[in-house]
Amino acid sequence: MDRRSFLTLTTAGAAGLLASGGALLGSAVRFLFPSVYYEPPQKFKVGYAKDFPIGIPTFLPQEKIYIFRDEAKGFSAASAVCTHLGCTVQWFANDQRFHCPCHGSVFSADGAVVHGPAPKPLQWIEVTLAKDGQLQVDKNRSVADSYHLILPS
Amino acid sequence: MSALLKDLYRSIFRGDPPSTDKGKSELVFYNVWLHIHPAKVRKEHLKVGHTLYLGFISFFLFLILVVTGVALMLYYHPHPAKAYQDMKDLQFVVFLGPFLRNMHRWAAHAMVLFVFLHMCRVFYTGSYKAPRQFNWVVGVWLLLLTLGLSFTGYLLPWDQLAYWAITVGTNIAAYAPLAGPQIRILLLGGHSIGDQALLRFYVLHVCILPALVIALTMVHFWRIRKDGGLSRPLWKLDADSAPQGEPPRPGPASAEKTYGLMEVVTGKPLFEVLTPAEEEDLVFSYPYAFFREGVAFLLTVAATMVVSLVWNAPLEEIANPAKTPNPAKAPWYFLGLQEMVSHSAFLGGVLVPTLMVLALLALPYLDRNPSRRHADRRLVLWAFTVFAIANIVLILIGTFFRGAGWALVWPWAATAGGHG
Amino acid sequence: MRDRMPRYFFLLSMVILGLVAAALFQAARPPWKKYQREFYALEAQHEPNAAAKESVLKTPLAINQILLPGLQRVDRCTTCHLGVDDPSMKGAREPFAYHAGIQQHPPSKFGCTVCHGGQGLATDKEPAHGHVAHWEEPLLPREYARASCGKCHTKGDVSEAPELAQGRRLFDTHGCRGCHKLNGVGGSIGPDLSREGATRRDPEWLVRHFLKPQSVSKGSAMPDFGFTRNQARDLTFYMLSLTGEEMGNYYTSKDVLPSPAYGRQLFAEKNCLTCHAVGGVGGQGGPDLQGTAQRHSSEWLDEHFVSPTLVFPGSSMPAYDLEPNARAALIRYLAAATPADARSILAAHPKSLSAEEMAIEAGRLSFEHYGCVGCHGENAKGGVPNPNSQGGQVPSLIHVADDYTKPEILSLIRRGKMPPLKDASKPAPPLYMPAWKGTLNEEDLKNVVEYIWSLKPKEESSW
Repeated sequence: MDRRSFLTLTTAGAAGLLASGGALLGSAVRFLFPSVYYEPPQKFKVGYAKDFPIGIPTFLPQEKIYIFRDEAKGFSAASAVCTHLGCTVQWFANDQRFHCPCHGSVFSADGAVVHGPAPKPLQWIEVTLAKDGQLQVDKNRSVADSYHLILPS
Repeated sequence: MSALLKDLYRSIFRGDPPSTDKGKSELVFYNVWLHIHPAKVRKEHLKVGHTLYLGFISFFLFLILVVTGVALMLYYHPHPAKAYQDMKDLQFVVFLGPFLRNMHRWAAHAMVLFVFLHMCRVFYTGSYKAPRQFNWVVGVWLLLLTLGLSFTGYLLPWDQLAYWAITVGTNIAAYAPLAGPQIRILLLGGHSIGDQALLRFYVLHVCILPALVIALTMVHFWRIRKDGGLSRPLWKLDADSAPQGEPPRPGPASAEKTYGLMEVVTGKPLFEVLTPAEEEDLVFSYPYAFFREGVAFLLTVAATMVVSLVWNAPLEEIANPAKTPNPAKAPWYFLGLQEMVSHSAFLGGVLVPTLMVLALLALPYLDRNPSRRHADRRLVLWAFTVFAIANIVLILIGTFFRGAGWALVWPWAATAGGHG
Repeated sequence: MRDRMPRYFFLLSMVILGLVAAALFQAARPPWKKYQREFYALEAQHEPNAAAKESVLKTPLAINQILLPGLQRVDRCTTCHLGVDDPSMKGAREPFAYHAGIQQHPPSKFGCTVCHGGQGLATDKEPAHGHVAHWEEPLLPREYARASCGKCHTKGDVSEAPELAQGRRLFDTHGCRGCHKLNGVGGSIGPDLSREGATRRDPEWLVRHFLKPQSVSKGSAMPDFGFTRNQARDLTFYMLSLTGEEMGNYYTSKDVLPSPAYGRQLFAEKNCLTCHAVGGVGGQGGPDLQGTAQRHSSEWLDEHFVSPTLVFPGSSMPAYDLEPNARAALIRYLAAATPADARSILAAHPKSLSAEEMAIEAGRLSFEHYGCVGCHGENAKGGVPNPNSQGGQVPSLIHVADDYTKPEILSLIRRGKMPPLKDASKPAPPLYMPAWKGTLNEEDLKNVVEYIWSLKPKEESSW
């Protein structure tokens, strides 16, 4: 074998191995991203519309969300995770505001920061009507604070 | 920009693939990985017929096992409530999960086999004889560690196959004299296999035993070079004048004398003038040795991948301590022992395994015949062949010819207790 | 030394590239993706406008899983069965069809496999339905899925599964416990049935077994009870519900909440006032129960109900087979029990019993509860065939009082007995009298003897 074909074959072989390695490296990333999560789902049903009181936010502690029901505007949902460092905010009926117990951030009823270290308003998430008539929330889909679900009457 | 890239490339790869003799030597000298070889090796050592590359294949299988094993660790919890479910996750939801588990399983079985074959090769070529006695002993320990790794890994899927194979296997260990039952308790962290045993086997499997294998493998490789490279092939012994064909060993050290480096380092340095015959015998490690080893590596990987694409690793029902499968079999490499235990607990559980390990460890010191020629060592060749074949036959009987109640059956009639 | 190594190196690197591609190809095309694409295509047909169609078709493909940590189950069935809670998929083809009546047991809380069986972890049809080697819980045939109601609804009627209650009743009246253990109580001639539904998942086998035991298990000692096909089916329902799975409070039925009212019902049913009194009202055999709930912790009482003699050695109270909620209900009732209430419970009973009658009644209850009926027949009339025993059947107990003394009967029950052989060259008869010592305490044994003694026809004894 001459030096030329030696170099060609080894280079091509090395390229093939590099390609295999690259494919495996790429699939390693795919391997590392779990296909299923052992945690509560991001998209879930929260119950029927009639179960939610008008005017008082309903807190779902497992899912860490507040569901709002407004007579005129309909349904909306806010994440109860403080945008500062991730503590769970609590609704206070007396001043109609969310208070974060960790560092004193306060959010208004529409989620805007009133004071405290929180850099962003609370995250609003999409509420839709599932086929079986239950309300469905998808934490992966954030929406503007003006978003409301109005049920067909 | 291109100058920068070139600089970067040159800082890693100092030159093009070398074409000069000097370049080929330097490539080996200046590379931490390649310098495990000398710059030049004997042609005869590269011949497939001499070593069959069995040691390399064992080592490559170990590499495959490390890589796939670390990947599998990311999706494994060593707890009875989760371990079996993790197997199902690997099978059904983890990307490439079945493939990785198959690779790990089949490479593990193959490694036990190839380490054994490597040992047989070293025996038949008489390569354990002076000056390589100690490296044989290291090799025997590596064989035992390989069995330990396979055995501890066997429990981790936490299915019926795993549970009962380990139950039977550890009970064979309990037949050991004096401390047998205590050894079993130490191994299991209890009297039967439970979450403690699973945790202990896991730690042994992913931490302690691999660390020992890596440490001993380093010694094993190092000793090859310090013992003067591979032993010469048997066909060379007949051609050579010196029957051993080994490099000269330094004489006994004298306490009064001051030694220079030249007297400590053994073997012929490259810059020493070699006889034309010796020169003819040598080739550069690059490319000849490296490419052969590379090809052996790729072959090992490719074969493992093919097997893993075609056959799935076994997974039975979840471990159920209340339901013993009939027959319950130990992992295949212990089935010879189980077969013997079924006749006599003392024979299979104590006498034979103890003698087997002791005989293997002591072999190079007991066999004081210096000749490596087959004609000179008929007796020991016969003894070893009988030993190896007896082992293989017993394992085959245990694997294929034993059915419910450990009764003799034809392999095609056997219903349960399949092994893989 | 020219050689072919670079060529081999090149070829092998190409082989490996191909193998990597094959592995990735295999990994990237799981079967569930095909089903999801089909489902979204089907769903898109119902969408009114193009934009909605587009968004449905673009739904990311992903494995859906329902975590049921309390049950150690993970159900991925909804990865393919995407329409189970979508009423618009009524009548759609499988695996997309709507599951009628699912609102009562939403999949997000109950999953699927707890009722239907199958392998929830799997994401491919055959393994998921569990019809594969090494999976012990295959899918139940559709009509038998309702048997699983009995896993949580352990007492009372389930309106959708009337077979269950029927099966339970047949189990009691035919004395199955005489031979079979269930939840720790029963004989040892036949296999323990506590996990029968988990180990034996084939309803057809069970039905055939009840109709003619020897037709499916050769040499079975189980007598042919002459069940009708419907009765065999009822019993099969009951058997399938016995999985031994710990369902946890989260899943247990609301019908048997440990309410004091349920406790009072049990208190009356089990005739506790036969032995016990509340504030002096009731029997004098056992301690007065007024203030018991204050004197003992509820844990103590609970353990006492499980095994009276374990907590209180020498107690003559029988161990009733009560499920956890029933025990909790009784404990809550005990705290509220009053003499006036006891009087009203007693008033509902037609008459009070003498000590002797009480012993006979207790013996009769034990006789039924421990399944003596199974072999000795209803009212101990005998008649269950027992090949190769003298007489060819299990003896009637009605005339036992003529042949044995009370201590002899007592020792016979305590130690058990192999029936005498008709023909010594033939195999031993399948049925034998088990030793009941250990299962029944001395008090129970004595009561059973009294009961058997009482069976002797009155005319003969009055000579």
